Amino acid sequence: MDPQPEPVYYICGDCGMEIPLKPNDVIQCRECGYRILYKKRTRRIVQYEAR
Amino acid sequence: MEGKSYQRVPRVKIREMRDDYMKFELRDTDASVANALRRVMIAEVPTVAIDLVEIEINSSVLNDEFIAHRLGLIPLTSDRAMSMRFSRDCDACDGDGQCEFCSVEFHLRAKCHSDQTLDVTSKDLLSSDHTVVPVDFSDSAGMESSEQKGIIIVKLRRGQELRLRAIARKGIGKDHAKWSPAATVTFMYEPDIRINEELMDMLTLDEKKAWVESSPTKVFDFDPKTEKVVVVDPEAYTYDDEVIKKAEAMGKPGLVDIIAKEDSFIFTVESTGAVKASQLLLNAIEVLKQKLDAVRLSEDTVEADDQFGELGAHMRGG
Repeated sequence: MDPQPEPVYYICGDCGMEIPLKPNDVIQCRECGYRILYKKRTRRIVQYEAR
Repeated sequence: MEGKSYQRVPRVKIREMRDDYMKFELRDTDASVANALRRVMIAEVPTVAIDLVEIEINSSVLNDEFIAHRLGLIPLTSDRAMSMRFSRDCDACDGDGQCEFCSVEFHLRAKCHSDQTLDVTSKDLLSSDHTVVPVDFSDSAGMESSEQKGIIIVKLRRGQELRLRAIARKGIGKDHAKWSPAATVTFMYEPDIRINEELMDMLTLDEKKAWVESSPTKVFDFDPKTEKVVVVDPEAYTYDDEVIKKAEAMGKPGLVDIIAKEDSFIFTVESTGAVKASQLLLNAIEVLKQKLDAVRLSEDTVEADDQFGELGAHMRGG
């Protein structure tokens, strides 16, 4: 177990702010209080078959 | 196994030839050969097409798989495809794009910095091999704008970005239509049209004109000087039977006799640009010959079928 889990950044569905979230954090924007947050695209390379 | 030989010597006469279009006559052979040639041109002549896409960044409005699919459909110049290897039976690599014998690598990087929409096109694809590049259509059709941009992959607005690596591989149209070098290949039987002059002379001038007009395509014409009906363009006939029905309706069955010559074919070939239409025909004949070799070999020995690898698999796979 990691003692200090790295925060994951989400995007607010209302104001578009980036919000860092750690486990057990409330899912809410710190700027505007909006409760719908979107997960960001992976930084990894993704592979597809061109078919 | 001794038997009668059915060998014939077909003749080809080229009527029209452009880079992406060809029209030719094939004579002294059977429909089976003509159709085999047509089918091989469509589905078995190899080309190179993008087969694997690794997307790094995509903030465009199109999703990753949508873009990957569009990239696959872009025709690439494939003059080298006949001598390339299929990545599945390439010994030098595992088909991941590191090998010059079976794959070509492409890179695409585009980001929109202005308020104007940025078109990302096939010209933004940078190839690792100058012999395999997206087909350039600019000189053939759209002469008016010198800044012809190629095939649009996606459009970007300010701030959107697309960054990817793509692997192109050799393949055939039977696997996926993106590998087909042919846009259309068709053949028609050459018609043999004979007018019964005896019956024709019994018609009045108006009847002759009405009969000529009954054909939906301009196959016949009325010559006012000789007052005779003449065949002007037999190939315009679409085997629609309209003139035959008209003759029957006029009470003159047998006025015209139209038969399809069973050993003469008129081909039209349209290429996607991956290979020239003329080269497409030559490659098709080469592939057909290889397939026939495989049949002959498998007849001699069962083991030879295994040795033939790719072609053996072709024959078994059907």
